[in-house]
Amino acid sequence: MTKFIAASSISQQILKSAKLSADLPINTLIYGQTGVGKKLLAKEILPNALTINGKDLEKLIIAKQIDLATHSEIVIVNVGSVINVEEFFSHLKNIKLVGINLDKNDRFNQYFAIKIEIPSLEERVEDLQELIEIYKQEAMGIYNINLSLKNINLDLSGNGVTLKQSIYKSILLQSITTDDILQTMEMYLTKKLKDGKTYRDLLEIFEVPLLKAAKKVYKSQLQMADKLEINRITLRKKIHQYFGEL
Amino acid sequence: MTIYEELLEHDLNPFMLFDGDGKIKNFNKEAEFLLNFVSPKELFNLAVSYASQTFGFRREFISLSYDKQTFYAILVGYVSDDEIVLRLYKEVSGTKMLKIDTNLKETNIFTLIELSKSTTLLGSNILIEEIYDVSIPLLKLNVNEFLLSLNNIFEQIKDAKNITLRVYLKTGEYEVINKKKYKIIAIEFVSKDKIEFYPLKVEAGKNDLLHVTSNKNSIKLELPLIV
Repeated sequence: MTKFIAASSISQQILKSAKLSADLPINTLIYGQTGVGKKLLAKEILPNALTINGKDLEKLIIAKQIDLATHSEIVIVNVGSVINVEEFFSHLKNIKLVGINLDKNDRFNQYFAIKIEIPSLEERVEDLQELIEIYKQEAMGIYNINLSLKNINLDLSGNGVTLKQSIYKSILLQSITTDDILQTMEMYLTKKLKDGKTYRDLLEIFEVPLLKAAKKVYKSQLQMADKLEINRITLRKKIHQYFGEL
Repeated sequence: MTIYEELLEHDLNPFMLFDGDGKIKNFNKEAEFLLNFVSPKELFNLAVSYASQTFGFRREFISLSYDKQTFYAILVGYVSDDEIVLRLYKEVSGTKMLKIDTNLKETNIFTLIELSKSTTLLGSNILIEEIYDVSIPLLKLNVNEFLLSLNNIFEQIKDAKNITLRVYLKTGEYEVINKKKYKIIAIEFVSKDKIEFYPLKVEAGKNDLLHVTSNKNSIKLELPLIV
C-alpha cells in the first residue's frame, strides 16, 4: 500500500487535516491502533522525510551520530519510546516533525500542535471494503485464482496488517495444488528426519488432517471407517491417539 | 470639571457612583471600559455587600477578576442612601512588557481554526454555527502555541450540543505592544448550555499575546492582529 485510503467520510476529513498541516510550520502527531495507516498518513504530510524510530533517533542524537542540520523534516515512529522527552525535542526545534504513536500522551503533547487520531478499520467501513478489494485482487493476481469473499477468513485484530495477512493466507491455502503440498511435505519431512524423527512420529502429519477432514465430511465413525476403507477398531485407536488434536 | 473631578476621570482605577437603586449616576473612563465586561448590577451588589454598616468609607483587600483585568482591593463609600461610590484598585504588579516573539509566521487564522476543529472534534456530533468576519487579513502569530490553545478550547466544548463560534475584530479595543497599537481578534465560543471551563494547560497558555477568558457558557481567545 502506498497511499492512505480515504473512502469513508472520517478518513477524508483526516486526509484533509493532514494536507492542511503539511503546509504549516507545525508538528503533527498521528496516533491510533496498529495497522490503521499512520505511516501512510505521515507520508501524505512529509513524503520525502527521513523516517526513524524515536528510540533510535534519541540514541543517534546522544551519540552525536546524526547531523540534524541536514534534515528539515523527520517522521518519528513510536515517539512514546523516547526516554528523555524534553532533551530530545530541544534538539529538534527547527525541524518539522510528524510523530507516530499508538496513543496520545501527555509526555509529548505540547510538542505537537496538531494531533490526528486514526480510528480502527472496523469504524471505517468504506475504507475496509476498499482495502479488502485491493488485497484480494493483489493476492488473487499473485496466486492466479478467483475466490469470492465468503471463502476468505478476515482477521481485523491488527487492522490493515492482519487483514492483509489473513486475505493472503486464505487465498494461498485455497490455491495450493497437490504438487505444492507434496513439495512442502517433502521439505518438512527432510528437516524432521534430520532431527531424528521416525516413520511413526511423522505419520501424524498425514493422519491428523485426514481425520479432521473426514470428521467434517462424514457424520459418524462408522461412515468414516467405511469411506476411508479402514478397520473401525483401527480408526477408533487413531482417534484416541490423536485426541485433543482433532 | 473641578481638579478633583478631572483626577477621578483620568484615574487608572475604575470609579462609579450609584444611587440607592443601583443606577449609575457617574463613572470615569476606566469604569466605562470595565462595564464592557461586567454588569452595573454585579458591581452594585459588590458595593452593597462590602459597604460599611453605617455611613462612611470601607476598604477591603479582595481579589477580583473581570475579563483580562484583575483588581486587588475595593473602596466603598456610603455617604447617603442615595450615594454609594465604588472604586476598584487595579492589579498592576503582574503587568509585563509585551514583546513580539520571533516565532511569528504569517498565516490564515481560519485555516488554523478549521484544522484545530477538524482534528479535535473528529467523530463528534457537535453542531457549530460559524460566524466569521472574513475581512480579517493574513496575520502573524505563533502557530504552534495558538493551535495548542485552540485545541484545548475545542476539547472543552467537545461534549456540548450546539456552539456558536464567532471570529471578529473587537471595536475600540487595542493591544499595545512596543508602543504600537494593534487591533484585537476575538475567537468566541458560546454555548446555550452551561459548560464547566477549566484553565488552559500551562504549555498552552504561556504565550503573552494570547488571552483566554471564560464565563458560565462562553470562552474567548483573544490575540493581537499583527500583520
